[in-house]
Amino acid sequence: MDVRDAGFHGKLDADQSESQISHLALDIGGTLIKLVYFSRNKDRPIDENKNSKNSVIEGRLHFAKFETSKINDCLEFILSNKLHLGGFRHHKDPASDKILIKATGGGAYRFADLIKEKLGVSIEKEEEMECLVAGANFLLKAVHQEAYTYMDGRKEFVHIDHNDLYPYLLVNIGSGVSMIKVDGDGKFERISGTSVGGGTFWGLGRLLTKCKSFDELLELSHQGNNRVIDMLVGDIYGGLDYSKIGLSSTTIASSFGKAISDNRELEEYKPEDIARSLLRMISNNIGQIAYLNALRFGLKRIFFGGFFIRSHAFTMDTISVAVNFWSKGEAKAMFLHHEGFLGALGAFMSYEKHSRDDSTSPQLGQRYPVCTPLVGDKICYPLNGDLNDNDSLECSVYVA
Amino acid sequence: MASIHRSGSRPQLDLSKAAIEGNFEEKDPTILLPNQSDDLSHLALDIGGSLIKLVYFSRHEGQSIDDKRKKTLKERLGISNGTRRSYPILGGRLHFVKFETTKINECLDFIYSKQLHRGGMDSRLWNAEAPANENAVIKATGGGAFKFTDLFKERLGVSLDKEDEMNCLVAGANFLLKAIRHEAFTHIEGQKEFVQIDHNDLFPYLLVNIGSGVSMIKVDGDGKFQRVSGTNVGGGTYWGLGRLLTKCKSFDELLELSQRGDNRTIDMLVGDIYGGMDYSKIGLSASTIASSFGKAISDTKELEDYSPEDISLSLLRMISYNIGQIAYLNALRFGLKRIFFGGFFIRGHAYTMDTISFAVHFWSKGDAQAMFLRHEGFLGALGAFMSYEKHGLDDLMVHQLVERFPMGAPYTGGKIHGPPLGDLNEKISWMEKFVLKGTEITAPVPMAPPPGTTGLGGFEVPSSKGGTLRSDASALNVGVLHLVPTLEVFPLLADPKTYEPNTIDLADHNELEYWFTVLSGHLPDLVDKAVASEGGTDDAKRRGDAFARAFSAHLARLIEDPAAYGKLGLANLLELREECLREFQFHDAYRSIKQRENEASLAVLADLFAELDSMSEETRLLTLIEGVLAANIFDWGSRACVDLYHKGTIIEIYRMSRNKMQRPWRVDDFDLFKDRMLGSGDKKPQPHKRALLFVDNSGADVVLGMLPLARELLRRGTEVVLVANSLPALNDVTAMELPDIVAEAAKHCDILRRAAEAGSLLVDAMINRSDSSKENSSSVPLMVVENGCGSPCIDLRQVSSELAAAAKDADLLVITNINLRQMERMHVTVTRAFDDDVQIILEGMGRALHTNYNARFKCDALKLAMVKNQRLAEKLIKGSIYDCVCRYEPAS
Repeated sequence: MDVRDAGFHGKLDADQSESQISHLALDIGGTLIKLVYFSRNKDRPIDENKNSKNSVIEGRLHFAKFETSKINDCLEFILSNKLHLGGFRHHKDPASDKILIKATGGGAYRFADLIKEKLGVSIEKEEEMECLVAGANFLLKAVHQEAYTYMDGRKEFVHIDHNDLYPYLLVNIGSGVSMIKVDGDGKFERISGTSVGGGTFWGLGRLLTKCKSFDELLELSHQGNNRVIDMLVGDIYGGLDYSKIGLSSTTIASSFGKAISDNRELEEYKPEDIARSLLRMISNNIGQIAYLNALRFGLKRIFFGGFFIRSHAFTMDTISVAVNFWSKGEAKAMFLHHEGFLGALGAFMSYEKHSRDDSTSPQLGQRYPVCTPLVGDKICYPLNGDLNDNDSLECSVYVA
Repeated sequence: MASIHRSGSRPQLDLSKAAIEGNFEEKDPTILLPNQSDDLSHLALDIGGSLIKLVYFSRHEGQSIDDKRKKTLKERLGISNGTRRSYPILGGRLHFVKFETTKINECLDFIYSKQLHRGGMDSRLWNAEAPANENAVIKATGGGAFKFTDLFKERLGVSLDKEDEMNCLVAGANFLLKAIRHEAFTHIEGQKEFVQIDHNDLFPYLLVNIGSGVSMIKVDGDGKFQRVSGTNVGGGTYWGLGRLLTKCKSFDELLELSQRGDNRTIDMLVGDIYGGMDYSKIGLSASTIASSFGKAISDTKELEDYSPEDISLSLLRMISYNIGQIAYLNALRFGLKRIFFGGFFIRGHAYTMDTISFAVHFWSKGDAQAMFLRHEGFLGALGAFMSYEKHGLDDLMVHQLVERFPMGAPYTGGKIHGPPLGDLNEKISWMEKFVLKGTEITAPVPMAPPPGTTGLGGFEVPSSKGGTLRSDASALNVGVLHLVPTLEVFPLLADPKTYEPNTIDLADHNELEYWFTVLSGHLPDLVDKAVASEGGTDDAKRRGDAFARAFSAHLARLIEDPAAYGKLGLANLLELREECLREFQFHDAYRSIKQRENEASLAVLADLFAELDSMSEETRLLTLIEGVLAANIFDWGSRACVDLYHKGTIIEIYRMSRNKMQRPWRVDDFDLFKDRMLGSGDKKPQPHKRALLFVDNSGADVVLGMLPLARELLRRGTEVVLVANSLPALNDVTAMELPDIVAEAAKHCDILRRAAEAGSLLVDAMINRSDSSKENSSSVPLMVVENGCGSPCIDLRQVSSELAAAAKDADLLVITNINLRQMERMHVTVTRAFDDDVQIILEGMGRALHTNYNARFKCDALKLAMVKNQRLAEKLIKGSIYDCVCRYEPAS
């Protein structure tokens, strides 16, 4: 979304302008529910200095997430914060009380009835891929230092030239993985994907380690050593490299391949090692498939998003190494700070579509690029729905 | 070409004299044992992370057809040895065996017990007490070739010569794709379809070898390749993760589990996310897996709460699909349309192949095709085998390899399949126990089969079968490759490329079941015959029982997966049975029946000759043709026929049948043939130079049908070559038996006698004839050649070099029922002949009558057949029983 085009249409609705919270959007995936909502800064008046026709609301975009299996917690959270009131009224029937909330992801379909029942609001379903792309485009253009590379533990921000953003490959790693070739705003194609994604990591990981949460599993992997379980080239070649085809002795020849020949049972493997193997297997696989798809369309830039990554250093490292290895350094893996919220952001952005008909919808733009406050090398989002631990993004909203 | 002659009378060669002995008779070293290193080119290994694959070579048993006759024949036919190759290659068999790498000691024991590291037991030149050759070298590939070098040295005293893994994979794949007819196939939704590979259009292709890990290799030609990609999510991942999750004890057990699984309980499907709906906008159906193992997240279930079956299937789908996708992406990258998947992960497992095919098809939108290889697991080992310099297999042609499916390759996951044998040395396949050449055959007593396995005569479907989720637990899909370097394409075949002998494609399931019913119904009777032919000893009974089990197991396997052993035609099925019989040392189950029939026919031959000689030339020719047709009425073993023989009325029946042949026949080119033979008007045509007569049945068929015709041709100055089977099959007369029959017939006929002498057929029978009598004879020769085949059906793409040489000067072919049927697209059916004796009569006529003359020859061809089945006659040629076909096709 181009900030300069973030037009202002119509005039501010009095009631709406007084809401503290406005515009909730949801992305209900197979594993996680992602929420994006906007809150106004109370201490700052509406800035109308530049253009009498433009109203700019300063405020914050909030990001929150819940496990899909704990959707009731999520609904409770929405209710207690009155987030559901931040929807909009149906543009064809402004008089009706029916509030619509933008949502995307499969759960938008699956839980439509539940949400109607519990919150009394209807879900306006937005197409998932469109939301992902809109969210990514917004972040890449509007948020400074949104994208970065991660190699060998070193994080490097990437300056994105807005005029040279497209085309790129967007790899969204949720429960499964979608790979989308993005050619512009609203111009994209889902070209590939894989079922081996975050859900696989967590699902297999739970079965193998009895971990209670994704983050616990991820944390475990940090301390693990995959050589215990993976069959390395060196294991097959008696410690030698297979240099002729460029495989070093530490290259994984077969993930979990050692679990074959050993007489060890599951209990005798350390959960840490299992988690590590699993993570490498899945990250590497995604990196490889992403690279092959980028190659297919001549895309040099690959952005990885989705909740699987959650800024986990080792995950990013593995993906980066995979892309680097297969592309022989030609292609680069890049990550997004708001990786998990692409869909939800995209759904949020879609309120814009109604602005022409419905004066209650604001336009979102970022007036002053703001660094996201909570991005560090170690962001481990607990999945308890605690708002305090969630990210927020300061921004301005042009309101009508 | 040279072949091994190891007739019983000849002393066994001894190592030091091998070269000299080999040169003795044939001016060509027929046995390649000039030194030890050649001896060792019998074994190659591929030692992977999970499995050890062995390919080893054993020489054919000598088929000691009279050496002297052969030698004369070769001189006459102008076959010179060693013209095509600088050195001869051995006929023999390529065996495929596998072991788990963790059980490498079993593998070493196996090698040791068979002395494969010293050239194999077959050579029998090896002395158990002799010290191991310190310089002995075995070709090996795979990582284990490095890892286990010391172990091999220590245990077997041999060095492993390491061959590059990728090199071997590619060499193995290229060899298989070029040399084996039905190697590659597609597998879509449970349907297996063999792909005809055009050798000139093989490259480039993508070879995906799925072992513990996965290698993807772009192959541009022999030795020209590049490893373009790979993935660490492979067979090892499936097994490793599977073991951890299910406690399965073996890969195969895990695979077996997957057949009963339902991955929906554990995978997150698009429908799960979308509340049962499709995500049609991007082409994902509700049943598409959105996230493998994704449901294991949100559920509160623990590992124990999931069924191992579901876990296994989920895992299998995840890995297969992933490999298919990455393979496709790499194929796309290089514009490769063909992707061949090999490696032991697949092991003929239907679901695995379906999943990979689906992935390739889905992502390529149908542009690329996934193909699989029947010898999938042995690419590397074969490649290592190929790397021996002197095996001479590089230029092997498709027709020189015959794949057979005895109970070979019995190892799956280190277990021997087949009837249980108790405490027998497990390192040697139980089948080979029968073959051991000790003082006697020590056939083990088969125990009662465990419940659920195939018993005698039956073919219960293995309990593991479930929909399309078939697995190849029996490991019977890889046959032993018989290398017969002396096989060639029949040179008179006008268009070998379009020739297809296996016209009865048993893809039609009704036909298939019908045949299986017939064959298994016939089995007890056949076992009785076979046992009787070996004197009915206890040993023969045990072998008969084992044969029945083996053959039933094959039938069971085939009814489950008709394409398990390659494209299945009726001819293959019948050959399989003959092979099975031979494997259990039943060399000729019909011996006594054939003998009886021959004797009965020979007894009346003199009368027939006298009758023929009294006729005019034209009448005689017609009578002879009628005779060939009529003789076909005598079918082996049927009770009615046996009665006829016993009552001594064979000639009456023969004459009666002959009289039934009311012309015009259903297809009647007799006049055309007659004109060619006798001329019209004053014109006396030149006789044919050489006629090839393809004979089939023993008894009346050959004696009263073909011999008189041969005699007539000889009388007219045409050389005659009788073409017969190399090995016994049903009641077919063999090339071994023909000289005796001819000798017996020659007692009554001077023409035959002189011709047979000229053709050196009587050297054995009339050993005392002096050379002077030979010189006196001015007759054209009567010769016998073997066709190179040991099945009821001849495949003209694979005939003996003898026959090929004989064909070069031939300008007339006479082909009757059985052989004819195989040459043409004809329908085959079964009937119960004459009475309730269960008999199989192969009918030569069928719907193909309309098209069956497409198969053309480069010379004159006379095709004779009689319809002996009422149903067929009515249905297919709108004729009636005993309708005859006499087709004469002048050279085109």
